[in-house]
Amino acid sequence: MNWTQFLFRLVEPVVPPRFVIKRLLLLIPVLFGVASVVFAILHLAPGDPAIIIAGQRASAEQLEQIRVELGLRRPLWEQYLSFLWDAARFDFGQSYSISRGNSVRSVISDRLPITLELAIYGQAAGILLGLPLGIISAVKQDSLTDHVTRIGALTGISVPIFWSGPLLILLFSTYLDVFPTSGRIKSTLFLPDTWMLFGRELPLTGMITLDTILLGNTEAFLSAAHHLFLPAVVIGVYSTALISRMMRSSMLEVIRQDYIRTARAKGQGAKITLMKHGFRNALIPVVTVIGIQFGTLLGGAVLTETVFGINGMGLTIVNAIGVSDYPVVQGTVLTFALLFTLVNLLVDVTYSYLDPRIQQ
Amino acid sequence: MAQRGDPPRLRQYVAVRARLVGSGLVVGLLLGGLGMAGWTFYTGDAQSSEATVFALGALVFGFGLLGWSGSILAGRGIEAMQEHMGTRSNWTERDSRRAMARLCGGGGGIMVGTSIVAVLL
Repeated sequence: MNWTQFLFRLVEPVVPPRFVIKRLLLLIPVLFGVASVVFAILHLAPGDPAIIIAGQRASAEQLEQIRVELGLRRPLWEQYLSFLWDAARFDFGQSYSISRGNSVRSVISDRLPITLELAIYGQAAGILLGLPLGIISAVKQDSLTDHVTRIGALTGISVPIFWSGPLLILLFSTYLDVFPTSGRIKSTLFLPDTWMLFGRELPLTGMITLDTILLGNTEAFLSAAHHLFLPAVVIGVYSTALISRMMRSSMLEVIRQDYIRTARAKGQGAKITLMKHGFRNALIPVVTVIGIQFGTLLGGAVLTETVFGINGMGLTIVNAIGVSDYPVVQGTVLTFALLFTLVNLLVDVTYSYLDPRIQQ
Repeated sequence: MAQRGDPPRLRQYVAVRARLVGSGLVVGLLLGGLGMAGWTFYTGDAQSSEATVFALGALVFGFGLLGWSGSILAGRGIEAMQEHMGTRSNWTERDSRRAMARLCGGGGGIMVGTSIVAVLL
């Protein structure tokens, strides 16, 4: 049995491999479409990459030489096909400005874990708080708990990150001095580049809380968690609010179904009925929201990282657009698109596991 | 492409799709060619005209492709949601997919048309 067969055997009880393959194949046109849109927008945007690289004082000959080197004098269709080929190999060349001389791939590999860490904590907070809040709110409909949860959720959805972020910094960092305003770890702490596993030296992940755990450095972990708390709260509030609202309405619909009444009539306990029959069915629309929400979290990371000065993908994309560093913009946008589509694939798989009818 | 010996169903399958994308492609070719010629006549700079019209074609092509794959990925779900919510809409996954395929063809046509006219100019 080769590894592909082994993988199929592994996932078969959960979801048919054909379903996954079909979904994976559909990712190709999605990424191809995103790459085309990125190419078009960057070519329609004003600005000359040659001037960005050589500076305003460069001579016409120097600028022309750079344009030839970058392939900007080639026919557009050739540039387009070459761009798509490079995008397929995830090779966007070198950064012009924000990390001059370094490859875009290395810029992304340095900064992606930072954004992913933030998005994962935000999503985890959303799921861990949103689901129970939604269930409690639905079970105790029209009680004080329900009203408080609903008002809280509505507030969470209504408050934008660019407003809540500075406000939390002002309250918890400036006035109360409880959390740091920016950064990822105390400036006096330094982490090595590698960690040891059974005598083998392995590179760190770039996710600082995970790295500090791998290194067994408690002081660094506490400092990283301390620094990450406010950004994660800011990014998690919206997620929590949306998930709890969806869970409440979905749960309310499910608990009024005949099969729940039948289960109760047959003598099954209220909690067991709710969790065994109600929760799984109520989860189906919520899973979709969680998937779409991840895209919003990545978008939210752009704002959160800008507000908290975290040098992740979000801040990188903002800076790259600001200085017209096109290769970095192309690379980061495509990475975001790839992440979003992969998360949605995961959602589809989860969805079809929860409701096998979807596979049809 | 469908061959003479292919079963009729497959030939029909390919023909319907080819006609759909092809009609968009023809319109795109005309639009791209005329757009490129007109823009060059207006600005007097063939290179920048090619860049602008080709990029617009790539934009249309990209959106078409995204819309087409999006319709396949989420179209049925949206239809089911509309049915579930009882909203009266004529939107269907099939219509969306077909429209997006035509848009894709149009965008591709603009790109090809622009490149042809750029070579001729």
